[in-house]
Amino acid sequence: MASAAETTPSWSRRRAFSWRRAGRGTVPYALLVPVVAILGAILGYPIYSLVRLSLQKYGLFELIQHKGHYVGLHNFGLVLHDSIFWHTVLRTVIFTAANVGLTIGLGTLIALLLARVSSWVRILVTSGLVLVWAMPPVVAVQVWNWMTNYQNGVLNYVLTELHVGDYFHHDWYATTFSQLSMVTALIVWEGIPFVAITVYAALSQVPGELVEAAEIDGARPWRVFFDVTVPIIRPVLLILTSLSILWDFGVFTQAYLLIGQPQIRPGNYLMAIYLFEEGYFKNDYGKGAAISILMLLMVAALSVVLVRKMVRAGEEAET
Amino acid sequence: MKLRVVVTAVLAVALGVVATTASASTGRQQANKLTVWLQVDAQSGWPDVVASANQQFQADHPGWTVDVQYQNWGDHLQKFDATLAGGNTPDVIEMGNTEMVKYMAAGAFADITSFKSSFANSANWLAGLAKSGMYGGKVYGVPYYAGSRVVTYRTDLWKKAGIAKAPTSLAQFTSDATKLAKVGASVKGFSPVYLPGTDWYFAMAFVYDFGGSIATTHAHKWVGNLDSPKSVAGLTAYKNFWLSVSKASKTSNEANPAPYDIFSQGGAGAIVGPAWFSCCTGAKFKAVTGQFVMPSHVAGKPMPGFLGGSDLAVPAPSSNKALAADWIKDFTSTSAEKSLQAKGNIPNATNLLGNSVNERAAARSWFVPAAKHWVDVENGNILRTMLSEILGGKFTVQQAATLASDNITATLNQS
Repeated sequence: MASAAETTPSWSRRRAFSWRRAGRGTVPYALLVPVVAILGAILGYPIYSLVRLSLQKYGLFELIQHKGHYVGLHNFGLVLHDSIFWHTVLRTVIFTAANVGLTIGLGTLIALLLARVSSWVRILVTSGLVLVWAMPPVVAVQVWNWMTNYQNGVLNYVLTELHVGDYFHHDWYATTFSQLSMVTALIVWEGIPFVAITVYAALSQVPGELVEAAEIDGARPWRVFFDVTVPIIRPVLLILTSLSILWDFGVFTQAYLLIGQPQIRPGNYLMAIYLFEEGYFKNDYGKGAAISILMLLMVAALSVVLVRKMVRAGEEAET
Repeated sequence: MKLRVVVTAVLAVALGVVATTASASTGRQQANKLTVWLQVDAQSGWPDVVASANQQFQADHPGWTVDVQYQNWGDHLQKFDATLAGGNTPDVIEMGNTEMVKYMAAGAFADITSFKSSFANSANWLAGLAKSGMYGGKVYGVPYYAGSRVVTYRTDLWKKAGIAKAPTSLAQFTSDATKLAKVGASVKGFSPVYLPGTDWYFAMAFVYDFGGSIATTHAHKWVGNLDSPKSVAGLTAYKNFWLSVSKASKTSNEANPAPYDIFSQGGAGAIVGPAWFSCCTGAKFKAVTGQFVMPSHVAGKPMPGFLGGSDLAVPAPSSNKALAADWIKDFTSTSAEKSLQAKGNIPNATNLLGNSVNERAAARSWFVPAAKHWVDVENGNILRTMLSEILGGKFTVQQAATLASDNITATLNQS
């Protein structure tokens, strides 16, 4: 509906008013009212509270009194002048890029593989993927923890047995890079199934004739993939990429539990952990709210860019 | 038409939700119940003491029940914060002695000074523990029990290595450890003394042993003191001792893996930790488990150990404060404290003290700075980060200590 109104080209035509059209125009909006009202109630009020909290000094004392006091933009100033915040933003952006890149890349490769294997292998692989997908993150963290255990983890054992090197008593959580790599491995492993299955579904939409025609014209597999397949599945890839970015940017559970609270420090914060540690663990709820809002703004800005791209890709695919 | 249907449906659903939550909240309201939050230590270690306190309480107050809810050290404060914000606070809560100050300063607990005389042995409470429950001259926490840290060791390995008696100095302990390393060499990854790299309770004992400290006060301000020459000497001694006796991960902590698990699997000749570690050294080694007090670098003296402990407090929003104090009275009675002592803990009063290794170790002890924001230093892992940097060689002892010290100064002086 909205796009139809937008594509109405000339300014003068929009002025031509007709009651019938106006009546027809308001019905969809009226139908949207209940949804908007519900969303307003369940999203609007918390956001209002969050904004109000971010403008207050609200610590443990205020929590017990159930009353904070207004400090204006003090909390935002505190966060924006904190070098830990900027380092955390940078670290989280790099972390997100690595995670999304690996998830989408490996997921797409598995999807391409799925399209080519015999049906029983496909069933086997798909079941495996679904099992991974079905595993709750907390359980997955525990399994990962056991596998990478310093004392007697299977990863160290296997690497040593395979003569990759002496991995006995190797500490996978010794450095920030190593810690975050472990988290990345876990997140990518958990993220691949969704990407692989969705891309596989999208691949079935690629017309066989097009691929065949390209092959007859002498295109190599790489060219076929990038010039024929990718343009067709682009909308799906865009949706997957944007969802992955949103998920990975705000990741908390896996990172917090796998690294473990005793090893969490400003030097390995990701955004959500920074928010939790500074806001909740240290009982500075006003500052926590300010961090939440800044995070929300970053994610919102990102979403606008991505959604616009998606809409454009969708329009291109239609034409 | 359609719109009306949708709106009606939405309203119906919304009303339904409101109705169910309303009935749920009224249904939950239960009279005559005292809610107590204790740590799981009580559940696994002395459930009988809890049960007999409840029995006594219920006999004194017919019609009342006690609901003991067991908590974990890791997240009980977050849960408590949530109840402070949303209501439903417990009537009695067990707090670690390092956690008290921040909450007392914020007004989270009820002033129970007027009940003090009703608590058994309150005139003789352990000074260190009683202090952790006081703020501005008022009593907010009742000492529950204390515990010091001792060395738990395998007597069979000691004998095999030809070591006649427990070490009386740090140097002696270090040289004994080299003998133990040879005896235990058949076990891959064997630690003569298994020490998790970031066990700051143990590392800080070295700092205090060498005359240093974590922080001092100067002109009403806290000043981090880990970068002072004496503290650095202590940290250096810790580093040297650790590197020569432990094969643990440099980034590991004292909770995960539990040192007694390493011990029960035969991976260690000795471990350091609370005296109750002797509980879990495994069936295989139960008969050859011994304990001694960690020796100082000065021969013949014990190393000052961290005096951990718990207080019982009554949250300010509780509507049953007098009853809560009465339950605390039952739970800290002389007979209850004696039962705790029999389980290897230090009772809450000097007149009850015995001569166990745990109690002897408490003779020389240290405690964290009594600052409102101390718990932020603890939870912010400032000390753990410093220790893993020192052991991993990322920084020199002096560099790591200076970084940590500045950080501690900033954290403790927050408004």
